Parts: sequence; structure tokens; C-alpha cells
Amino acid sequence: MTDKTTPLYIVCSPCRRVGKTLVSRLLAEFYVVNDRPVAAFDFADEDPQLADYLPGITTIADIADTRGQMDFFDRLIADDMGAKIIDLSHRVFKNFFTVVQEIRFFEEARRRSIEPLILFIIDPDPRSAKAYGMLRHQLSQASLLPVRNQIKTAATPRVGPNANMAPTSLDIPLLTFPLKALIDRQSFSFSRPRGTSPADLPVLLKDELSRWVERVFFQFRTLEVLLGCA
Amino acid sequence: MTKPAVVLIGGDKGGVGKTTVARTLLDYFAHQQLRVRAFDTEVPRGTLKRFHPNVTDVVDINHVPDQMRIFDTVNSTDATVTLIDVRAGLLSPTLHALRNIGFIEAAKKGDITFVLFHILGPSIASLDEIVDTAAYLGDAKYFMVKNFINNTYFFEWDEATTAAYFKRIPGAVGITIPKLVEMAAEQVDLASVPFATFIANKKQSGASASYSFVLRGYVRHWLDTIWAEYDRVGLTDIIEARESPRPPIGRPRPIIKIAET
Repeated sequence: MTDKTTPLYIVCSPCRRVGKTLVSRLLAEFYVVNDRPVAAFDFADEDPQLADYLPGITTIADIADTRGQMDFFDRLIADDMGAKIIDLSHRVFKNFFTVVQEIRFFEEARRRSIEPLILFIIDPDPRSAKAYGMLRHQLSQASLLPVRNQIKTAATPRVGPNANMAPTSLDIPLLTFPLKALIDRQSFSFSRPRGTSPADLPVLLKDELSRWVERVFFQFRTLEVLLGCA
Repeated sequence: MTKPAVVLIGGDKGGVGKTTVARTLLDYFAHQQLRVRAFDTEVPRGTLKRFHPNVTDVVDINHVPDQMRIFDTVNSTDATVTLIDVRAGLLSPTLHALRNIGFIEAAKKGDITFVLFHILGPSIASLDEIVDTAAYLGDAKYFMVKNFINNTYFFEWDEATTAAYFKRIPGAVGITIPKLVEMAAEQVDLASVPFATFIANKKQSGASASYSFVLRGYVRHWLDTIWAEYDRVGLTDIIEARESPRPPIGRPRPIIKIAET
């Protein structure tokens, strides 16, 4: 165990196709770009999944049975892996938080200088609002931050102020269509040096992508400071 | 002064989790800072003693000297609670013996607090046990425990039939012991420590252990749920009942034999 606090990001939503893997990729590459240790855990069950984009740092996880839960949670709190990112499938959402609550995972994580942050991707689906309310009510030990992913759902609802965190939400801004298609490619990496994005990309798009990545990474840096993990 | 309390845990059927319930009670009493002595009637090796060696003696409930040890403990000031884990098949004979030596009568007079945890099995035979048990109870606090730790399904119990049996003991209170994740139950069993010690990640010696955090979490959640049940039925208040202004009961007459096994 180290004295330094490390972040644990849980990227989640009870709904599918809201951009959980995109946010997880961005987070992971935010650490990779600065050569900082990061480990990602992929619960997704639909392609393309996080492990397809970042096979070198991603472990496929499964907590369907007790053995899987031990492999996952025991490792998560025991290893000094730096930042940790969980890309949570909508199918695992309920079971994951049930187990977390039952074994008091967040309390133990904090005891071991791991600061959990739930990044909840909001969308207009009523299940989303219900699940968000449930997390706020039942998991007060972890910070909960809504994510407005405008790439997937442009009409995401506004959210009220978050008592735990200074920012009220994490915003993933809109991208123009060609860039949206580009970042979906499995060969694409956000952590490549900004000047070396695809050669055939027009300068305007290159600049847009660069600004977009910088805007997202700036918010990640702010989050790290607020979590005490900078 | 607090009256001596005797907590009897039994059920005529084997494998219904009597010792598991006894272990949860010992942890509960320890948490409540009540002094406890326990008797394990699984001679010769004992089961409860493996988990709680410091407070448990293995006794042969059929032998008069062992019976005397139990009853001397009840009267001593060393422990507030005397817990007896009665092995399968000996509940009715043990109650019979307790009545014969005036123990039930002493409870009725308010000299001791007598609490019975009757661990029920899933079959209708368990309901018949209730009828047998009712005859001995007197003023004892009677808890009927449905223990789901072994994944038991109480499928045979028709509601009307059950109610008819339960009516025979008007003051009876039901307690439910939930299921514990199998792997967690196995690991605590392997570790041979109290549940609370497992949760604290300690060995029997007090040294640090390396039990799975997930399994410890499951055991803690399970034990919390059971303790909430004990709180709900007011177990601590029952156990800590004040003594009535009567002289303590004398050493009981020895009995010859409780049951042939």
C-alpha cells in the first residue's frame, strides 16, 4: 500500500450505447499519454469493447460468480496499479453495485487510499434517472459525477449541482461526423502526440480533434485535483 | 444484578445449522460485551469448540459429571450467559432432563432466564418437534429459527398447517437466518475462526490473516443481518434481565441419563 491516493473511475450507465467505452478509452489514454500507470477493466459484452481498443492495459472482468468477484475486487484493492478504470456494461450495472454495497467495497477502497469516482453517463431514458437517483441515495461513500456525452446523446438533460464535487458534470463535447467515425476506429488512439494524428486528415479537422481532446483531458486533470490524486 | 441466562440451541434433525446459529450468537454476545461460557455436546471432538476454543467446553450431555459442569457454570459468576449447543436428536431429551432437575421451574420463578433457539428443518417433522418442545417450555423465551444458510427451502410448509403448530406456543418468535455465499461459509469453516474474527482478517491466534476481502464482506453483511434479527427480537434485553429478589438456585440434583444414543 502506498501513501499516494489513486483514482478508481467507474464508467457506467444502466443503458446501452451511451458511450461508456468512449469515456473509458479517453480516461485510460489520459494516463497513457503521460506515461502514468493505469489499468482498465472491461465488463462490456458488445463489440467493439475496451479490450479491443487498449488490449495492453485492459483485463476482461466477470463478476457473475463469487470466484470472479474475488478475482476482480480482491485484485482491485490489493494491487498498486495506479489509476484504475472500470468500463461497466449495462447488463452488469445492477449486480456490480449490489456487490459493491454488500461487501462495502468503497469503504475499503478509501481505507487503502483508493478514491472511487462513479462517472454516470446520463441520457433521456427514464431508467437512467432512476438508476442515478438510486446511486446517489445508496452509495454515499463514493463521489458521483454525471457525464454529458453529447456525441451519443445530444439531448442529455441538465443535472442539478453535485454535493460531492465542484463540477456539476463531465462534458464530452460534440464532434463533427468525420471525426466521430475516425475515433471509432480500433486503430485510433487519443494518446498519440497531437501532431501525429492521421496524415490524411485536413488541418481543420486535426485542429478540431486536438481541441476536443484537450478540452476533455483538461476536465480529467481537474477531476484528479479534486479527488486528491494529482 | 443480571440473572444468569441459559441459551439452548437445538433441533432434533441433523444438518439444520445448529452450530452455525450458536456461532452467530457467541459473536453477538461478544460484541455486546456479555461474558459467555459455551458447551458443545458433539462429543468427543466438538464442533463449536473448533471455532470458539477459549469459551467452549465439550461435554457429554448423557454423563452426570458433565451435566453438573453445565449447571455449576450457570450458577457461577464467571459468565452472564451459558450457551449450550445441543447435538442432533438430543433437544427433547435435554429439555426433559432440564425439567426434571427443576431448571424449567427456576425459569418460571424468574431465578434464571431461559432462552431456546429451536432450529427448524424444512420438513413437516420439524413442526412435530415444536409440539414436543412446547410441553417443556414453561416461561422460556422461545425462538423458532428458519435457517437458510444451507440453502434450505421450507417448501413443505403449508401456511395454515404451520400456523396451527405455531399457535401451540403463543409467545414464540420467528427468526430468519439468511443464506451465506457458499464459498464464504467454506472459507470460514476452513479457517476455523469465529465469523467476527474472519471479518477482522485475523487468525485464531490473533495474527493477521489474508482472507479474501470479498468473502469477508459477504460474511460481514450476513452477520449484520442476523444481528439485526437478534436486535429486533430484543435478545440483549432478554439476556440482561434483572434478577428477582430471590436466593440463587441451588446446585441441581444430578440426573442419571438423558438419552440413550
